[in-house]
Amino acid sequence: MNNKLLAENIVKKVLKLGADEAEVYLENNREFELTVRNGDVETIKQATSKGLGLMVFKEKKLGFSYTSDFSDESIEEFAKRTVQLSLVADPKPWNGLPDFKKGKIKDFDLYDSSIAEIPNEKKIKIAKEVEKIALAYDKRITKSEGGYFRDSERETILVNSKGISYSSKRTGIYFGADVVAGEGSEMQSGGWSSSKRHFKDLDTIENVAKEAGKRAVEKLGAKPVPTQKAPVVFDRYAARAFWAGILFAMNGDSVYKKTTFLTEHLDKHIASELITIIDDPTIPRHVASLPFDGEGNITRKNVLIDKGILKMFIYDTITARKAGVKVNTIASRYGYRSPASARFLNVVVQNGNVDREKIVSGIKNGFYVKGLRGIGTDIPTGNYSCGSSGFWIKDGEIAFPVDGVTLGGNVLDMLKNIEVLANDIDLRGSLNSPSFKITEMAVGGKK
Amino acid sequence: MKKYLKPIPRRKFLKTGITGGAIIATLPVWKLFSFSAPPSDFHVNPAVNLSKETLEKLIKIALQHGGEFAEVYVEYSVGNQIFLEENKIYGAGRGVDMGVGIRVLHGEKTGYAYSDDLSFEKLKQTAEVASHIAAEKEVKEPVGLKSSKIPSYYLVKVSPDSIVPQDKAKLLWKANSIGREYDKKINQVNVSFSDTNKKIIIANSDGIWVEDVQTLSRFLVSINVIKGDKRSRGYAYKDGTLGYEHYDLKVAEEIAKDACRMAIAMLPAESAPAGEYPIVMAKGHCGTFFHEAIGHSLESDGIRKKTSCFWDKKGKEIASKISSLADDGTVLGARGSINVDDEGTPSQNTILIDKGKCVDFLNDRLNAKLMKAKLTGNGRRESYQHYPLPRMTNTYLLAGEDDPEDILKSVKKGIYVARIGGGNVNWVTGRFVFSVPEGYLIEDGKITKPLKGIQLMGSGPEVLKNIVMVGPDLEILGGGTCGKDGQGKPVSDGNPTLKVSKITIGGAKV
Ligand SMILES: [Zn+2]
Repeated sequence: MNNKLLAENIVKKVLKLGADEAEVYLENNREFELTVRNGDVETIKQATSKGLGLMVFKEKKLGFSYTSDFSDESIEEFAKRTVQLSLVADPKPWNGLPDFKKGKIKDFDLYDSSIAEIPNEKKIKIAKEVEKIALAYDKRITKSEGGYFRDSERETILVNSKGISYSSKRTGIYFGADVVAGEGSEMQSGGWSSSKRHFKDLDTIENVAKEAGKRAVEKLGAKPVPTQKAPVVFDRYAARAFWAGILFAMNGDSVYKKTTFLTEHLDKHIASELITIIDDPTIPRHVASLPFDGEGNITRKNVLIDKGILKMFIYDTITARKAGVKVNTIASRYGYRSPASARFLNVVVQNGNVDREKIVSGIKNGFYVKGLRGIGTDIPTGNYSCGSSGFWIKDGEIAFPVDGVTLGGNVLDMLKNIEVLANDIDLRGSLNSPSFKITEMAVGGKK
Repeated sequence: MKKYLKPIPRRKFLKTGITGGAIIATLPVWKLFSFSAPPSDFHVNPAVNLSKETLEKLIKIALQHGGEFAEVYVEYSVGNQIFLEENKIYGAGRGVDMGVGIRVLHGEKTGYAYSDDLSFEKLKQTAEVASHIAAEKEVKEPVGLKSSKIPSYYLVKVSPDSIVPQDKAKLLWKANSIGREYDKKINQVNVSFSDTNKKIIIANSDGIWVEDVQTLSRFLVSINVIKGDKRSRGYAYKDGTLGYEHYDLKVAEEIAKDACRMAIAMLPAESAPAGEYPIVMAKGHCGTFFHEAIGHSLESDGIRKKTSCFWDKKGKEIASKISSLADDGTVLGARGSINVDDEGTPSQNTILIDKGKCVDFLNDRLNAKLMKAKLTGNGRRESYQHYPLPRMTNTYLLAGEDDPEDILKSVKKGIYVARIGGGNVNWVTGRFVFSVPEGYLIEDGKITKPLKGIQLMGSGPEVLKNIVMVGPDLEILGGGTCGKDGQGKPVSDGNPTLKVSKITIGGAKV
């Protein structure tokens, strides 16, 4: 049976079984994964798979199930069981499907039909080459964790009892390498990759390989620095982990439950005026773009922080109703095994206008953050404490690699002290930021 | 909370492990236990019970291009969850995963394919796809399948899958009312019960044919407290390879109280001091440190690729003389326990570090073969969609002889880690960061005030050398899901009370 038809039939079936509302989210996946190491193919994995999640509401009670077994008898049993499950829950007046603004979903050019045609030999060649060039980047690169190539294709279908019936197809393609540099008994790892929806958009093998090599070598000799206060530059890629913490703290349910430090800060200045953050899943061909979100809303741009002012929290439909707020919902889906929930789709911290090099050259004594271990933000309190690595800046220049230090502070102080924003954003994933400088932070290392 | 260690013979082993080390590890401890039957009330879709003939056919097809080894992994898994928040049962959920993964090994190469369609036609195609990793003229004849019985380390009489969600809801309500009554400052009580019930069948070209039913259950309470602008969290859980008979209203009450205690204790917490301090780790709840910061670097894939910081350390001193580390898949009822790994190898107890010396690594089939090492029962995979990797089961630091009170008394100023939280480790350098959701200041040998924002930082190899005191009070209480290469796997961990002479604390204060 056609998958969309199957989804529509399940919705009809559970309505007949007594559900008031229902939604089916179905995925159909193809994946190919290849790794090479030291010039030889190590693994080849390929498969197709599918699965669907069914959410039902009966008398404002919620039930959810998923299955990858699409046989007729199993689906019949599955539908019945899900309706029964909903009876266990307590009714909540806010439960139910979103009120949809009807419209046509847009085509963001997320599907590259040429990917399925790429012969395995070519994929193997790319993976071997990226590893080879990364290994050759520097004499001190001695070991390989491998080169890899992956591509995938996913069809997603969302059908519900409010008349929504969408489907979309997207492709993904990804390659890169991980290598290890060594000197004496010291080892440092470095890796880099390129991930796109279209084959043609991928970065060159050369660029990816050299970046992987560089990232391993540049850390050799890294050491802690004495504990002190210093200006700190967050590199554009490291910055993503910092923003992730703030975005978690903007979760609408946490705001409702008052378990986030941002609870009282809506419409207030929480960051430097340089900071504008937009959730934008509508960028053509971008890896995090989607025509409809996890709940079946047509995707749209939302300004989260505007010139330092916190404009909105991130709610899914049910939480927004519960909290009694009227807001554009933003819900994402981790796959068919769970219902949609409030989460940003593609966050873009808007670019600044200063060259990154210029920021560094203006610092006499400071820390350039290249790696963060975790998000660092304690969501209830807004305390920030994060293990970090990078470089020490001395007299406007990168002086030596640093590792084993913590950055400490308070997120609100940090946000307000973002003094300069660079113009170097690179739209690589679902969270994108330029580099920026914070006036001063606690850098903890040796006593 | 209750310990899930084995009865007397097992405890004795843990104690003697320090002095007896590797010799005792080879004793067939499992013979103490019966071949218990899996819970009969877990209903498995009969479609997954592939016949011996079908399995043998698939193995033969998988070897048709000359692969050295072929394996069929069949899985049927049912997961259930029920969740309470804001004084309401939020919802109940259920999920079914079913599929077959077929793997072919050839030299250092792996071919892998999987299917969620169990028709013979589809499985045949899947075997063909995997077979192409080899391209030899000579084709190997597989060994005929011989079914083998395995001992059981699970404590499951009643499958949680057989319990209706309405019954599980009673536990949730109990914990909720305990939490609501405990203290007025408690703002949120979240409670969940989840279980997975998985049948696996493994058959390979060496003639191994085993099946296992793996049950996991988990009862979790988390508490949020607000007072003025102060906020804190607490959590507690019971989990393991445990049947539903291990949960009742009393258990729900105990767990809820423990979570409340932690949340209230942490409310007045002050920012942690930054710098280098001695730390004391509380028994039972800090094993995650050894799992993440040490255990991963002893998994044989990183050893073979020479990318682990311990790759050339076998037979060498890597820890203080009082430190011994084990990975033991046979701890009765523990979350990481398995009767067989996901390659069909019986589970075992492996001493990794014996009195400071690195003595062994954790192997899956591929790495064991390539390194000419023995199998240790650590080839694990998340599901049929993944090929196995060397993974831990239950990892713990073995007991020592120092009095836990003396350990605390020996610290003039330091940090008491009551519970270790999430961590981040680079397995190449061994560098780590861990958060500490419950930690206290130690002043003059006494625990004084709660601290927030503690980050433990350093490198695993460094910390191992700085373990200066170890207590006799080993408990295995940690439980979670370990992630590696995108695959999640249930594990557990443990530790006795211990002291690390110095570790870097990253805090907000300078
Ligand atoms: Zn782990």
